[in-house]
Amino acid sequence: MNLPLSDPVLLAQDIPEILTARLRSSGQAVCIRFSHRGDLLAAGTAKGTIAIFDLETNGVARKLKGHTTGRTVQSLSWEKSGRYLLSSSIDWKVILWDLKDGSRVRTVNMGAPVYIADLHPQNHFRCVAALYEYRPAVADFTDKKVQQFALPNLPKRAPHEQEANEKADAKHFTTVAAFTSSGSHVITGTTKGWLNVINTETRETVYSTRLCSKPILLIRLSGSGRDLLVNASDTIIRTIKLPDFSDPNLQADSINLEVEHKFQDVVNRLSWNHVAFSANADYVMASTLMNHDIYIWERGLGSLVKILEGPKEELGAVEWHPTRPYVAATGVESGRIYIWSIHTPQRWSALAPDFLEVEENVEYIEKEDEFDIHPLDELQKRRLDQEDEEVDVLTVDAMQLEREGAANLAGDDGVFRMPVLMGVDESDSEDEMVAIGAGQFRRKSTAREESELLEGDDVNDTDSMSEQANGNTGSKRRRGD
Amino acid sequence: MSYASTPDPHQGRRSPKRKRSESLDPPSAYHSAASTPYPPGLDGASEHFAFAYEDDNEGDVQTPEIPEELRSSAEGTPEAGAKRRKVAERPRSLDYALQYTLKGHKRGVAGVKFSPDGKWLASCSADCTLKIWSAATGALQHTLEGHLAGISALSWSPDSRVLASGSDDKLIRLWDTTTGKALPVPLAGHHNYIYSLAFSPKGNILVSGSYDEAVFLWDVRTARVMRSLPAHSDPVSGVDFVRDGTLAASCSSDGLIRIWDTGTGQCLKTLVHEDNAPVTSVKFSPNGRYVLAATLDSSVRLWNYVEGRCVKTYQGHKNEKFSIGICFGTYGTTAPEESTADAEVQQQWALAACGSEDGSTVLWDVNSKEILQRLHGHEGTVLSVDVCAQDGAIATCGLDKTIKIYRRRATAVNGQAEGGAELKKEQDVKNSESTEEQTAIGGGGVNGTSQHVHDQQTTKEDITMEEG
Repeated sequence: MNLPLSDPVLLAQDIPEILTARLRSSGQAVCIRFSHRGDLLAAGTAKGTIAIFDLETNGVARKLKGHTTGRTVQSLSWEKSGRYLLSSSIDWKVILWDLKDGSRVRTVNMGAPVYIADLHPQNHFRCVAALYEYRPAVADFTDKKVQQFALPNLPKRAPHEQEANEKADAKHFTTVAAFTSSGSHVITGTTKGWLNVINTETRETVYSTRLCSKPILLIRLSGSGRDLLVNASDTIIRTIKLPDFSDPNLQADSINLEVEHKFQDVVNRLSWNHVAFSANADYVMASTLMNHDIYIWERGLGSLVKILEGPKEELGAVEWHPTRPYVAATGVESGRIYIWSIHTPQRWSALAPDFLEVEENVEYIEKEDEFDIHPLDELQKRRLDQEDEEVDVLTVDAMQLEREGAANLAGDDGVFRMPVLMGVDESDSEDEMVAIGAGQFRRKSTAREESELLEGDDVNDTDSMSEQANGNTGSKRRRGD
Repeated sequence: MSYASTPDPHQGRRSPKRKRSESLDPPSAYHSAASTPYPPGLDGASEHFAFAYEDDNEGDVQTPEIPEELRSSAEGTPEAGAKRRKVAERPRSLDYALQYTLKGHKRGVAGVKFSPDGKWLASCSADCTLKIWSAATGALQHTLEGHLAGISALSWSPDSRVLASGSDDKLIRLWDTTTGKALPVPLAGHHNYIYSLAFSPKGNILVSGSYDEAVFLWDVRTARVMRSLPAHSDPVSGVDFVRDGTLAASCSSDGLIRIWDTGTGQCLKTLVHEDNAPVTSVKFSPNGRYVLAATLDSSVRLWNYVEGRCVKTYQGHKNEKFSIGICFGTYGTTAPEESTADAEVQQQWALAACGSEDGSTVLWDVNSKEILQRLHGHEGTVLSVDVCAQDGAIATCGLDKTIKIYRRRATAVNGQAEGGAELKKEQDVKNSESTEEQTAIGGGGVNGTSQHVHDQQTTKEDITMEEG
């Protein structure tokens, strides 16, 4: 509802500019993911916990504990409504969470450490997972009894090629897997640089192509599902146009994935930690290995348009907000989550309605009746008589309903609202405690926190100590809970 | 009561007519509208009215006899887009009747609010307590104690589980409405009395206005100030959130209404009326496109805040001294209880309600500015009013320490006897419950004696209706 009042110049900006916030950490975040509506951010930590951040308050809305403590959360995947979240960890488990009450709907043991798990776009009781040194699998957990179907690792080859490669195939594994936007196919990337398209129903590879000889690190689909972003260890990021997989007439033979753009830094030979598309896939963004910056390329021209600078540490996972120019990234060392967005300055004319911001001096032309004197009553009456327009205070226009996410979902049940839990964040985050002497701690004052948001002055290694402190004061957190 | 300053109530409806008469001379318009097609070259608006006429004729053959006023009200429904729908006729007056008088507060009651689920009614008072009443029966459910000074503001969380209260002890407390207990951490930070409060539509942010002239945005989960907005140069008397939570409005006795961007904390717009009268209350319209504001020049104004323009002025009440709450509501041709399951078929119009210092509560039609009804019953100033979103019940409270609940009578068609019987039945239920209630509260030793003695006598006599 703030759109008609916002500065059109700012609204037109589509890439973030400056570091604007740092989310109050709740452990060392290693992977993050925005919900589809963009109001929540899930963050998985190196210790196996998951925090759900409310991006309106930048506070923790819920904490999820269920993965084996101390095992890194590998991936997160949201269901469309934002009520369910799928997480995977190297503790072999894939967990489907219900954020309404924070419960675990399903816990699935995949039988091997999980690289990445992706939720089916339509059915949140289905997921595909890439497993460590094992075949990727589609898991169906509609019932309590989980069904797992293994998918092929190997690319599609002509029969005569198969035997020749037998030896090499023994060490050919899948590193990433993702559903296409309709869920009809799974796209996987392998350790030998192959990209496979697998039919979800028949579980057969329908198309394969080799992008490079190094392992593929990450593949991501754009929101529309027609663009693919591939990060491989050969320091090249590739974008690929995808055919419409939901089309029933699509023939396996007609699939042909061609690399559209390659992004790389030829001068510094930078490698990329993590990549992401912007909301409408106009931009490609990557965090860099051994470097503190985020690179943003424009996809249409393939040119580098922005380097986001910020904290003095290397950045791991990066994510682009599904609708706004808003970027989140995790710090590799501190595990903090940094937010870049657009700086909106206060417009002074908004504070005083009779002031106008003008570019240059304007000569004022007095109106004919400007200084006419009318009796007050008459003025008042005239004013009231002018109020004859029709006003509609009830009807909400369809655009607004759509923005609120209620348009295509019938009834209130369709829209999930994150419940508000009181005191969830309390004294739980590590860097809220400051060591002021040997064995002595105090809480940071609120005034301090605000300034710290931008400066990001680091208080490291208070992690274990603050937990002690919390234990001493008899409050919430317990290790290994 | 005086009506002198209000313009002709039908004035607002004239504009579409004028337009039509430009192309057709008025007397023939009625006859030609139904039978002959409109000449080409008429603009879209007139075409729309042609539909309205046709629909009218379908339902009622004797169209030409319908007096002009009724006709104009039928065509000028607030929903300009309701093209082919059968256009119901907007009622010119409403038939709210006093149902319950809730007594129990020991001092003036500053605010009443229905819970978003429509089940409860919360009230806050200068006696340092809040009370939660059953909206249907009027039975007292909880008395919330903990504040050390009078309470001026309250707000329900959207899930109806939490009630926030703002007090002169500078604290905002959150209450669990199922147990009636305060949540352990109060929201501390304001330097002076809390004057106004509102929850965001998601329930994660609370906005508060205070005598310290600042507006605070609170993170409800952690009970901490997210943002403090240097909002005004006088006490902040009213705050509200828009339906999607992206905007907050604040108003102050410095005469300004400011619209804030919740996300950035920046002021996006300032509304000020020429007279600069202190603004005491502000509310966003249900669709979020307008704000309603009450000022101490005995006016309630509707603003198009995007254009910064006052579009309607409602008058007919007295408000020169007290900070009186206002609210929006909707009404149909019949009481909502009477309507069938397909409630969306029934056409709804918007009303604005405000208390008056003469003890009445005035209900205006938002579009025509006509007074639909005056609710009588309070002695002394009515401080706040709220309309229940579910069943259209109206609650008012005032300096006379009481809360009153009004409900629509049954439809005029079905006769008043039936409606009266229904009301009576509910009262009986309530009385039997109230005896239990009293013993229960007597055990607690709080306010034992004077719990909401219902004054049945007032039910009929106190209601006088004034046609707009």
